[in-house]
Amino acid sequence: MKITLDGKQIEVEEGQTVLDAARENDIYIPSLCDNPHLSPFSGCRLCLVEIKGQRGYAPSCSTIAREGMEVKSDSPKLRKIRIRILELILSEHPSACLICQEKENCDEYKSTIRKVGETTGCVLCPNNGRCDLQKVADALGVDSIRFPAIYRDIEVNKKDPFFDRNYNLCILCGRCVRVCHEIRGTSTITFVNRGSDAVIGTALDKTLQDAGCQFCGACVDVCPTGALTERSLKYEKIADETKETICPLCSMGCRLDVGKYEGRILSSQPSEDGKVNQGQACVKGRFLLKNTVYSGQRIKRPMIRRKKDLEPVSWDEALDFVAEKLKGFPGDKVGFIQSSQVSCEDMFVFEQFVRDVLKSDQIAAESENSVYGILKELADESGVILPMNHKIKEISQADTIFLSGADIVSSHPIVWLAVLKAVKTGAGLIIAAPFEFSLSRYATLDLRIKPGSEAMLLGYLAKQVLGREDLSEKETVKGLEDLKKSVEDLRIEDVLKLTGIPNEETLTHAEKLFRPDRSVVLLLGAGFAGKEKIKNTLAAGWNLARLTRGRLFLLGSGVNERGQFEIRKIYDKKIDLSEFIRKAAEGKIEALYMTGPITLAVKFDPAFLVVQDSYWSDMAKKAHAVFPASTFAEDECSFVNTEGRVQRSGSIIPHYEESKPDWWIISRLAQKMGARSFSFKKSSDIFNRIEKEIPAFTGITNVSFTKEEDLFIKEEQGDKIGFLPAVYDRTVSSGEKRYPFLLVQDGGYDSYRNLDLTKENKGFAKIRETGIILLNPEDAVVLELKNGESVKINSESGESHAVVKISEAVPAGIVKTHFLRRLSPDSIFVSMLAVLPVNIKRGE
Amino acid sequence: MEEKILTKLFGLKDSHTIDVYLKHDGYKTTRKVIMEMKPGEVLEEVKAANLRGRGGAGFPAGVKWGFVPQNIDKPKYLCVNADEGEPGTFKDRYIMNHDPHLLLEGIIIASYAVGIHKAYIYIRGEYENVALRMEKAIEEAAARRYLGKNILGKGFDLDIYVHRGAGAYICGEETALLESLEGKRGNPRMKPPFPASIGLFGCPTVINNVETLSNVPFIIQNGAGKFTRNGLLKDGGTRLFGVSGMVEKPGIYELPIGTSLKDIIFKYAGGMKKGKKFKAVIPGGMSAPVLTADEIDINMDFDSLVEAKSMLGSAGVIVIDEETSMLDVLKTIAKFYSHESCGQCTPCRIGNAWIRKIVERIAEGKGKPGDIDNIHRLAKNMLQKTLCPLGDAAAMPILAITEKFRKELESYIGN
Ligand SMILES: Cc1cc2nc3c(=O)[nH]c(=O)nc-3n(C[C@H](O)[C@H](O)[C@H](O)COP(=O)(O)O)c2cc1C
Ligand code: SF4
Ligand code: SF4
Ligand code: SF4
Ligand code: SF4
Ligand code: FES
Repeated sequence: MKITLDGKQIEVEEGQTVLDAARENDIYIPSLCDNPHLSPFSGCRLCLVEIKGQRGYAPSCSTIAREGMEVKSDSPKLRKIRIRILELILSEHPSACLICQEKENCDEYKSTIRKVGETTGCVLCPNNGRCDLQKVADALGVDSIRFPAIYRDIEVNKKDPFFDRNYNLCILCGRCVRVCHEIRGTSTITFVNRGSDAVIGTALDKTLQDAGCQFCGACVDVCPTGALTERSLKYEKIADETKETICPLCSMGCRLDVGKYEGRILSSQPSEDGKVNQGQACVKGRFLLKNTVYSGQRIKRPMIRRKKDLEPVSWDEALDFVAEKLKGFPGDKVGFIQSSQVSCEDMFVFEQFVRDVLKSDQIAAESENSVYGILKELADESGVILPMNHKIKEISQADTIFLSGADIVSSHPIVWLAVLKAVKTGAGLIIAAPFEFSLSRYATLDLRIKPGSEAMLLGYLAKQVLGREDLSEKETVKGLEDLKKSVEDLRIEDVLKLTGIPNEETLTHAEKLFRPDRSVVLLLGAGFAGKEKIKNTLAAGWNLARLTRGRLFLLGSGVNERGQFEIRKIYDKKIDLSEFIRKAAEGKIEALYMTGPITLAVKFDPAFLVVQDSYWSDMAKKAHAVFPASTFAEDECSFVNTEGRVQRSGSIIPHYEESKPDWWIISRLAQKMGARSFSFKKSSDIFNRIEKEIPAFTGITNVSFTKEEDLFIKEEQGDKIGFLPAVYDRTVSSGEKRYPFLLVQDGGYDSYRNLDLTKENKGFAKIRETGIILLNPEDAVVLELKNGESVKINSESGESHAVVKISEAVPAGIVKTHFLRRLSPDSIFVSMLAVLPVNIKRGE
Repeated sequence: MEEKILTKLFGLKDSHTIDVYLKHDGYKTTRKVIMEMKPGEVLEEVKAANLRGRGGAGFPAGVKWGFVPQNIDKPKYLCVNADEGEPGTFKDRYIMNHDPHLLLEGIIIASYAVGIHKAYIYIRGEYENVALRMEKAIEEAAARRYLGKNILGKGFDLDIYVHRGAGAYICGEETALLESLEGKRGNPRMKPPFPASIGLFGCPTVINNVETLSNVPFIIQNGAGKFTRNGLLKDGGTRLFGVSGMVEKPGIYELPIGTSLKDIIFKYAGGMKKGKKFKAVIPGGMSAPVLTADEIDINMDFDSLVEAKSMLGSAGVIVIDEETSMLDVLKTIAKFYSHESCGQCTPCRIGNAWIRKIVERIAEGKGKPGDIDNIHRLAKNMLQKTLCPLGDAAAMPILAITEKFRKELESYIGN
């Protein structure tokens, strides 16, 4: 389709706005309220254009181009209109900074004098020149305004963590409101009041947190003025360098742009062209990234304990010390804990080292059995292949989404955005979980099922699908007969009773969402069901996905859990974490090498303990040797995210103090212990080996990363397609006499190696509500507990404390807390998979 | 001539009750429509009557109904605009107070014609009694099976709900009304898409003014021909002229469309109050540009007023006498619009605020030379440049006053 823009014929796409078409053709039309990711708002009116044959002026940001349209984007008249409109905007915006004659001279110094009181002229804006208003003022050549600027005198709102809201600088473009509503789905902020009193705010002037904010920072990133600014940047200079990295704080692996000044990291923002995140991130990547690098908990130098105390020594000395000691233990007495938040390169070297040098196969992954591992084991037993790769984009194109096992708004934020996109275009969303998720209001069916009844529900749905006539072609598929048999006697009465779903209609509604004409996606995480149950849930989910020609997407956790799974796949001898812990408890592991945190619920004092990590921990303080590992930011490294996407993250800062990459430390140690093959110089040398030795990485070379391609794990191909055996046991998890409540946790993964982000950042602790348990109002009455009271939580494995928050989000009998892998000995170890029977009593 | 279409029952005792309404042939048309007519026939009749919208814009109702797609598997809605926020306008209130069943009958017939099963009456928040009265009327009608399921046993269903606004003028703008009805902030939507295709809850929706719909029973009962003959010109029917301001007999007058403005003021409304001299008149609610003494020899129909660069709008006639200062008039207008702007677009939100500030400073005796130009320029910068017609509604009267009464306004500014 063609239109004429300023006399030039240009090609436009169907449905494209005139403004977008102009942008694509490098024709500048001033605009302030428009943002390509958001629906048009047409409020600022700067983008008005003239269209031949149309009365008046049309906003180009919301005018869809029509074949043959003749548009004038610039004329003396339009110029005049735009200047007048800009004048109006500036009359409400403290704007000396925009039109000051000294602007150019000032620009150089601006960022250094802003500690001056915030009410005078050009130093008012905290936005460091990142200002679209300035750009438009420059483009239109406005150098004076006819109206005095009025200071609206709105109190600067600093009540929430991470960013300030100074609506004196707001131009009411509504971008923040739209991004929050359209892309994040929280609708935290909106317009309040009208006329010249209109401002952006929350309902009833609540804090952002109380209004449901995720603190994703998306509003800050789209704000064209200094109205929304990251607090920690307010008095910082303008970045002099930008680098890209992959966020290591969950299994999404968002691409982030890291701003630096004189070598220091200032900020991190989602990359517009990030393949996974496309301009979005979450609170962790957006506001906490630099906490991981500059934490006060960082281990600075190698230390060893020759006598009583840990003492700093040189790398050489430390490595020699550990090498000597380790040589003294036979392979079956040495254990190694492998972090799932280190790079593929590190993991590969760990495995080689333990197996070839230590001659041990006792290397366990820090995270308990991953969803991948659990399902793979089942598949191997049944001789079935399991494609696990997926693209987040496929989720947004689904017609039906079934979600269970993870409150993805906080655990997999980017998956959530895709789900929201699907829902907004009409997809049905079923959430099956024991409590209310943070954005359950978007669900078509919000099924509050009893913990542990997930498999039952999935099995019943499979039975209904099997009952339909359209399945004949599947008759030959492996395992179908077994599947039929296993779901045969799932009667509706039992399912209703066991799941707690209130009525038959709800189930029928759910069934309808699995009609054959709908493309189905099942999203399953490992939470809320209980470890024994998760296996069946995953198998039942797989079967239902197969039956509906849909897809099962596993929600792993940890930036490189998927990578760890793929790398470890090649080794026959593996030990899982619980077995490892059991062995430790039985005294069968005498020397322990830890690169990631685990919590041992039992007392365990190994004869020799090495901790290799970036951060101090109780274990590190007890260790015989402590090795400072660099973080993701300090070395080039590769991660595999939950989609199966392989990404390379560059080094963005030099190594912190004396820290070294994990692979370097282990390689040197291996050499000290006499091994020859550990002569890696840089991480890409290791990647070459991975590419050659690990089938899942075949064809992904160092060069591929530079080509901006979509790189995915290579999966098994073949016709071994089939169903998996699932057991639909008739029990649900529940409390017992001594421990009548079930404690579930909402599945976040808020630590990076040994660093607990909630401890690192007060604002984050506040929004994650650490130390709080949610209690149903009925239970609160029975226990005679009020909001804010302190309680003791007891379980088989220990005791902990929390503060009560009464909430309808949890049903009676269930208490919920945010996942916290506390390392202090006095707390209960709640694993990602556990549903823990507990007792709750008032008390400190 | 001068037949009453809308005010026939006004003044009768208990005219708002269904008994009185039925006694005067009430719901006879509904019976006729439901029992004997096809929806298409009803639509054609309304089209033929050239019933132009009484809410302000004067768009022909039949044409609007015809835009609603028929082969669609979504519900369709009717929204009755009873927000009546335009200063100088109070006609809808009269209809709903005195003859609520007339409106209900209009709604039933319109819904039948378009295939609608749910209608909402969006009533101005301040009209509490009116809302109660409408609710009562709905109950009465439902009890007699003119509403609800299977109306008159003929299989047509219709439910009517009353929804009260919360006091924002902008919610009378049809798309803002939809937003508000959906429970959101009443900001106008962008058009296209028009409500006829994507309206309430994303479904095809007809929005009509109370008075517009109240004409429908007459049209169907008596035929389009009889209706059009009631108008003096090519617009069909009568209008409820709400005359206010400095006249002897302010009030609602049902008169044929096209009645002369001069007659409305001097004949029907009893002329100027206390014999004061006429100065100006706002002919169609506050958004309509003022007319001066030598402009009131004009027929009150849509097209004549457009020709005179004003508008018939809601037919609220506000009469201004020589003792009223045009600065006060301007101040009232400026205050109103700056308060009622939704705040979405720059020229309206900030422009109106500045106009108000400047007018207020002139009123305080602090006017500066060039201020009238400033006001004029700000208004001009609003005209046709805003998202919804409120910007124009503010700009037009302000431009007219600054142009027609420039001398007087200048006189309030010292040197
Ligand atoms: C700012 C603004 C306020 C309006 N207020 C009303 C109102 O109170 N009542 C009304 O019927 N129409 C009002 N309108 C006109 C409506 O948008 C719409 O045109 C009308 O309800 C359509 O009905 P009609 O075709 O029957 O006149 C308003 C328009 C604008 C721009
Ligand atoms: S931080 Fe995110 S959730 Fe919070 S208001 Fe901004 S966009 Fe909305
Ligand atoms: S706070 Fe920023 S993004 Fe939001 S409306 Fe104001 S200027 Fe626009
Ligand atoms: S979603 Fe995950 S990867 Fe993305 S910014 Fe947040 S923590 Fe980092
Ligand atoms: S013109 Fe703009 S600011 Fe004014 S009411 Fe309409 S949309 Fe709102
Ligand atoms: S960019 Fe089009 S109106 Fe603001």
